[in-house]
Amino acid sequence: MAGAALKRLMAEYRQLTLNPPDGILAGPLTEENFFEWEAFITGPEGTPFEGGVFTTRLVFPHDYPLSPPKMRFICEMFHPNVYPDGRVCISILHAPGDDPMGYESSAERWSPVQSVEKILLSVVSMLAEPNDESGANVDASKMWRENREKFNEIAKQIVKKSLGLFN
Amino acid sequence: MREVVLTAASLALTGAVVANAYYQKHQFYPSVVYITKSSPSMAVLYIQAFVLVILLGKMMRKVFFGQLRASEMEHLIERSWYAVTETCLAFTVFRDDFSPRFVAQFTLLLFLKCFHWLAEDRIDYMERSPVLSWLFHVRAVLLLMFLGMVDAILVHVAYNTTMQSGASVQLVFGFEYAILLTIVVTIQMKYILHIIDLRSENPWDNKAVYLLYTELITGFIKTVLYSCFMVIMIKVHTFPLFAIRPMYLTLRGFKKCISDVIMSRRAISNMNTLYPDATPEELQQGDNVCIICREEMMTGCKKLPCNHIFHTSCLRSWFQRQQTCPTCRMDVLRPPPPPQPQQPPPRGPQPPFGFPPMGIPPNMGIPPAPGVPPQGLPNAGPVMFPGWPPMGIPPMPPGQPLPMAPAPGAAASAGASGLPQQGSAQDASQTQMPGFGMPPPFMFPPPFMMPPFMFGDLSTPPNVDFSSLNVEQLVAAEGQERQNVETRINMLRTVHALLDAAIVQLNQYTQMINAHSQPPINVPQPSTSAGTSGLGTAGAGPSGLGTAVAGPSGLGSAGVGPSGLGSAGAGPSGLGTTAAGPSGLGTVGAGPSELGTGAAAAEETKEEVSPTSQPGSSTVSDSSASGDTASNPAVSADTDTSQMEPDLNDENSEIRRRRLERFSSQDSPEKDKKE
Repeated sequence: MAGAALKRLMAEYRQLTLNPPDGILAGPLTEENFFEWEAFITGPEGTPFEGGVFTTRLVFPHDYPLSPPKMRFICEMFHPNVYPDGRVCISILHAPGDDPMGYESSAERWSPVQSVEKILLSVVSMLAEPNDESGANVDASKMWRENREKFNEIAKQIVKKSLGLFN
Repeated sequence: MREVVLTAASLALTGAVVANAYYQKHQFYPSVVYITKSSPSMAVLYIQAFVLVILLGKMMRKVFFGQLRASEMEHLIERSWYAVTETCLAFTVFRDDFSPRFVAQFTLLLFLKCFHWLAEDRIDYMERSPVLSWLFHVRAVLLLMFLGMVDAILVHVAYNTTMQSGASVQLVFGFEYAILLTIVVTIQMKYILHIIDLRSENPWDNKAVYLLYTELITGFIKTVLYSCFMVIMIKVHTFPLFAIRPMYLTLRGFKKCISDVIMSRRAISNMNTLYPDATPEELQQGDNVCIICREEMMTGCKKLPCNHIFHTSCLRSWFQRQQTCPTCRMDVLRPPPPPQPQQPPPRGPQPPFGFPPMGIPPNMGIPPAPGVPPQGLPNAGPVMFPGWPPMGIPPMPPGQPLPMAPAPGAAASAGASGLPQQGSAQDASQTQMPGFGMPPPFMFPPPFMMPPFMFGDLSTPPNVDFSSLNVEQLVAAEGQERQNVETRINMLRTVHALLDAAIVQLNQYTQMINAHSQPPINVPQPSTSAGTSGLGTAGAGPSGLGTAVAGPSGLGSAGVGPSGLGSAGAGPSGLGTTAAGPSGLGTVGAGPSELGTGAAAAEETKEEVSPTSQPGSSTVSDSSASGDTASNPAVSADTDTSQMEPDLNDENSEIRRRRLERFSSQDSPEKDKKE
């Protein structure tokens, strides 16, 4: 029998392939390594990110699902909850115990009940509703709060870039 | 490409140097002397040696590993930098012995270390790879044998050198290779365990435990080796600065290992003692996929007190991290609830941060009860009373009839809304009763005040003892939103007011009983349906002051003893329904926070949240409203009750009467049985 983490990831991959949620496409980069996934997320409708297709990478720890995976945007992203280097900062991706932003209750943190699908859906809803309390990207948080029009404009640019349509 | 060019350049330079020497001296021996005497030539030769080492390394990598994966390469480079830095530090310690031979030895050490790291990564990769070719196994076995042999030989050499010529730099090498040897042994053990696991058809549950103990033992050996090394080095040479980092890492790893072992043992013993095995029926019903590994549960499953079922092995590995239910995050280290909690939990040790009476800071929290109902989201625990605000109304002296006008109103409105939860109500009343200076004759037993038939089959949460929670846990347990907390506090106030009202009622009954104990009892049978309904109205009647007339008549007909008890039961039953409010509300409060993390959460909790959230949300509005009306008068009740009584009393007693009638007509069979 293979490792528990591998089996679980394979099960999740199967599940995601059989029942793909709307606007999300995810799978391992290669068949040999199930611990690195690529996921495509479409920007939710009615938000500044509408229409964009964003590429992300998920890296799973060897003790998944006991520890959460790490997720980062490979494409450009300007969002209050995404670090400038692309790392996604949402509470579901934080193991109970560490609290980089100092505001999360353990109830929202990672637990084995969560899954890739839930993470990706959380990211979709994060795109729709940024949480400017956490502020992984301070500039984006500030702009989102104070100058929404400009934020929307930048988001539109990013959408265009993500589609390879820039200018 | 660049590497090829550099290698070729180095080779060309070496050729040029040798050719030059031979061209000048024409004979072998003088040429060698010439080269060794000339510094530029030697520099070229050193570079060539370095290039050769790298080439050899690449070749060995090709033989033993094939293509390196990206993460392996990353690890290798990261660790190499540390190792190079430490080697340079070591050079400073042994600067007296500095010689080409010395550098060569350190290079060899570094070289071998790299292969140990790679081997470690490769064996760890076994667990992750879906397919392993026979080539992988051949390579792994060969590499491990090779590394083990080389390490052993080098330890032996270092030992002999040290024994013959005293302590020297060989001491460092001896210890370094000894540590590498333990690493090889660890890797071999892991490899064997992985192989056994791969060969077996079923998941090998105890593999994690064996791995843990392997790490513990080798961690211990490494710690001992490093300690010896430290002591000897300080005695012989000087403080070995270069060994600080690996030593610290080893110590930290060992400590973590120990705590892991302790946690694992505790988890195992807890699981064996505290939680029952899931029965086949439980596994059959509904979704029997273990949420941790997403595999079907056939055998070897455990059921937690919160009714969630998992594989024993999955649960154990999770419990090593955290002692909570993966689904609802209930703290599983709390002892399971006693079947029928009769004793109120000790109120003595309160949490360190006592709740301020009425001013509610936004971060004030009400910790969830461990016994969260099955759908229990983290915030959903029934509201408990660790930091009950000082009572708005001082306990009544027995026998003094003080009407509690607002209470019935709250009971009626809150009771009419939302599905009541018996368990929380029971807890509430139990927790609170002793604090109210109740007249002893009416210390009614819980089953009676909360007749179970009124509330359907709801699970009873366990007895709560918050004294063992620390501040962090309590803070973590509270919800995020201020609103939730405030509504909960309003609910608590409502319950508070109701309890006060119940006590006042009881006092009145005692008085009435005392007053009427002389005349003989005419109608002793309250067991008919008419009797119970009459009893119900009697219970409602005396709730106000104006019932001085109505009360005795109702009581007189129902008989003294039972009617007193019966109405006592009715009083808190209204109370029970309100007390249930907060728990439903808690569920709703938790709903958004879980939902807030995304639609993903909604997907999972849809089944669980939505049924409860509908009635629950209605409870929120209703009961918080009633909480307001109830709490305010409750606070001021002793000052201006006279003003409030008449109007509130009339309508409330009306509502109450109707409700009680409904209850009694619904449940008369059970009630009869009971009585």
